[in-house]
Amino acid sequence: MAEQQALSTETSFRPAGRAPRFPGRHPVGALLLCAALLAAALAATFSNITAQLPRALWLDALASPDIDDMRQVLVHYAFLPRLAVSLLCGAALGLAGTVLQQVLRNPLASPETVGVSAGAYLALALATLLAPSLLAFGREWVALAGAFAALAAVLALSWHKGLSPLSVVLAGLVVSLYAGAIGAALVVLRHEWLASLFIWGAGSLGQQDWSATLWLLPRLGAAALAIGLMVRPLTLLGLDDEGARSLGVPLAAYRFAGLAAAVCLIAFVVAAVGVIGFVGLAAATLARIGGARRLGQQLVMAPLIGAALLWAADQGVQIATGPQGDLIPTGAITALLGAPLLLWLLPRLGLGAEAPALGAERLPRARHTGLWLAAIGGLLLLMLALALLYAPGPDGWTFASGDQLQALLSWRLPRVSAAFAAGAMLALAGLMMQRLTGNPMASPEVLGISAGAALGMMVALFALSDASRPVQIAAATTGAFAALLVTLAIGRRAAYAPERLLLAGVALTALFDALILVLTATGDPRAMLLLNWLTGSTYGVDAASALLTVTTAFCLFLAVPLFMRWLDMLPLGAVAVQGLGVNLRVTRLLVLLMVAALTAASTLVVGPLTFIGLMAPHLARRLGLARALPQAIGAVLVGALIMVCADWIGRTAIFPRQIPAGLVATLIGGPVLMWLLRRR
Amino acid sequence: MTRRTALALSALLPLATVMPRAAGAKPLRIVCLDDGLAETLLTLGVTPVAVADREVWEKWVVEPPLPPEVADIGTILEPNLEFLQQLRPDIILSIPYLDGIKPLLERVAPVTTIGIYTPDGQPYQRAVEATRQLAALVGRQKEGEALIAATEAHFSDVRRQLSPFSARPVYVVNFLDPRNVRVYGRMSLFEAVFDRIGIRNAWTGETNYWGFATVGIDGLATSSDARLAYLEPLPEGAAGTLTESPVWNAMPFVRNRSIMRLPPVLMFGTLPSASRFARLLAEALMAESARG
Repeated sequence: MAEQQALSTETSFRPAGRAPRFPGRHPVGALLLCAALLAAALAATFSNITAQLPRALWLDALASPDIDDMRQVLVHYAFLPRLAVSLLCGAALGLAGTVLQQVLRNPLASPETVGVSAGAYLALALATLLAPSLLAFGREWVALAGAFAALAAVLALSWHKGLSPLSVVLAGLVVSLYAGAIGAALVVLRHEWLASLFIWGAGSLGQQDWSATLWLLPRLGAAALAIGLMVRPLTLLGLDDEGARSLGVPLAAYRFAGLAAAVCLIAFVVAAVGVIGFVGLAAATLARIGGARRLGQQLVMAPLIGAALLWAADQGVQIATGPQGDLIPTGAITALLGAPLLLWLLPRLGLGAEAPALGAERLPRARHTGLWLAAIGGLLLLMLALALLYAPGPDGWTFASGDQLQALLSWRLPRVSAAFAAGAMLALAGLMMQRLTGNPMASPEVLGISAGAALGMMVALFALSDASRPVQIAAATTGAFAALLVTLAIGRRAAYAPERLLLAGVALTALFDALILVLTATGDPRAMLLLNWLTGSTYGVDAASALLTVTTAFCLFLAVPLFMRWLDMLPLGAVAVQGLGVNLRVTRLLVLLMVAALTAASTLVVGPLTFIGLMAPHLARRLGLARALPQAIGAVLVGALIMVCADWIGRTAIFPRQIPAGLVATLIGGPVLMWLLRRR
Repeated sequence: MTRRTALALSALLPLATVMPRAAGAKPLRIVCLDDGLAETLLTLGVTPVAVADREVWEKWVVEPPLPPEVADIGTILEPNLEFLQQLRPDIILSIPYLDGIKPLLERVAPVTTIGIYTPDGQPYQRAVEATRQLAALVGRQKEGEALIAATEAHFSDVRRQLSPFSARPVYVVNFLDPRNVRVYGRMSLFEAVFDRIGIRNAWTGETNYWGFATVGIDGLATSSDARLAYLEPLPEGAAGTLTESPVWNAMPFVRNRSIMRLPPVLMFGTLPSASRFARLLAEALMAESARG
């Protein structure tokens, strides 16, 4: 079913209603765009190089720089290689984006959206911090391992949906989030004043010699050549499976070969300069919009556009910062520009509708739902007692008792109850999103609301020199609701169609990630404060904010019974729901508002990166709780249980240090989630 | 002369610690969350009960040594509150950077916040004021004034010693990776030290209020006669790759062989760090001139 929906490349990726109608077979639009970008890049390059070196010396600097003249050395060994690297990386990403889109039949596939860049980056970061000797074998191998692992995870997560475009991109986002969470954990746990990881991860194109260029050239060349040899079979991959198979193409082999070549391109780029956001997506999409219909044309135009794009962006960054300015990573800037592009693209892509997933699920229904719920409840009570009473102190592990009890409870109770409420709210929000969208990968984390809250927090930290906790909370709430408004504004056009909303969330999250990268790359110590909160620490929760969270949760839960009928119906699909006489628009809007409130209230406590919203409903469903109400109760209990457990582990595992609870939940949750989503 | 001042100062330390205290007064139990304030406390002869991120002391601060009995209460951003309470401190020393957790800390003990690095700059003056404030807090005003005077005296010694070197400016940097550095300028403690020992800072560009800017190493090529002083610790792999880079090898200070490797100095420190920086820089410059 999903296979049929994954429409073929040639017909469906054109922006709806704006089909370019250029005469002839040439991608005129793409060529014009390329020319315009090249002109801009050339002008900027001219201006940059003029600022560095008098024109009379240009040829000398290019051919044989005078080693005594620093200006010539800089042009020859810093400016020109940087230019070369920007061209190479831009072209490689554009090519990789096009191949990914073709092989996955997915107009939103790109190095970032399918999680490959994040995987490569994480592998390199892990190797740098934990096993530097691995890097001696070659950065590319480490990056490749990470990239392939990420891709495998994404494909495994979206396999049962027939690799439909939306499920792949959502799985890609989840994998990126997970990789990002681990990366953040590394930084938080190794608190130091030097943040080199940030600069590199944000895609600084700065060069000191030609080595990166010479390193990239053969590797990218080989991968590009492999793709060039596969143009014909890759074209056939754009057809549906039956059509391709009837032409005698060994589909699986070419799919894998195409994917492997694209992943290699991405891994090499990440190994050389870090993550360059969104160039791949932009180049591939612009080539298509510009009229490159045939794969052969796309494979030429996308790299050209990608190279021109990154060249122009990088020269623009150099104009803005000056040859000596503070360092702004180009990769983060392209991501900043790319996220709005993704938002703009959303309504213009024919993505097809997603099939409801939970309705078709063949999981067994439990007979004794009450028994299961009681068992989880009992477990939760046990965990609560443990979390409140048992922890290490200066004299080792002890049960709190006597006069110690009250003092310790005054610290632990707010944190535990806030974690409890946040976990419960996230679980409910996730359940509602999954029932609303019929997509098992839906959750508040991918709705963009968490990102909005985090964005507000960031503004507060950087705009005000001393942001107290109430100010931070106010800012985060404002951010959450601003994100909700943006998401709803985009959703309104599509009558709140769930998949559009989720993708808007993806774009918002990407925008937010890019901003974080830019800020952290400046090495500002305040970035550490932000990271600390992002990783979901319950540390700062005092009695007042715990009470606030618990009260909010309580009030929102009072409204839940009103939603249960809708939540039972929504997975049946839009047509069925309307057939039952329900106003779909209003229902969706109300559910979304509820999700937004739940998410904002919980994000403030545990940060935007947990997977509770994604995980808890699945666990409840796995236990055989099929109808909305028992599943909701089960999910809420499971969500609270995981969060309380995560908070306890975070407080005690490396005493007196602490691991943020949100991070522990993510680290536990990721593998559990992958296991849950694997279909037998 | 320099050595002598430094030696005199360090000789004071053990004395100060064993000196009999005011009759019957129990020593204050101080938890210090900032390494800069902690180094001043230690130099005044007061050992805090606990500090945050104990293990980075060896790597970033080094001097004065941290006594082994000082407890570690976790990271600077999230000092363990339960542990903190069980330590029963009389006072917690904090910095404005940690104002977010101040209400939590205040539940354990009174918090004194001392800002050295703020948007208003002037870290040296602030460090002097902080010294007086801390000295008054622990009842060691005399030692406090002695520390300030010794630091000033040390600077004028170093200034005399370094007068042959004052013509050429100096960059002070930390390597982030082989391509990028943090260069310290206006608003930094090192700039204040430069002013007092008669050395010009080669970096005249903007800095943030912690006193540094992040730039690629080619950003350090504008001054043709500058020397470079880089601080340890180095990130892994920086030293090896640097020597191969043509830009690095064409940098004026590499070609003049005017590069100095300095042991770690806390860049966000107070008077002891300022003094340590002046001493290490002077030693490095003298060693360079001795090499010819």
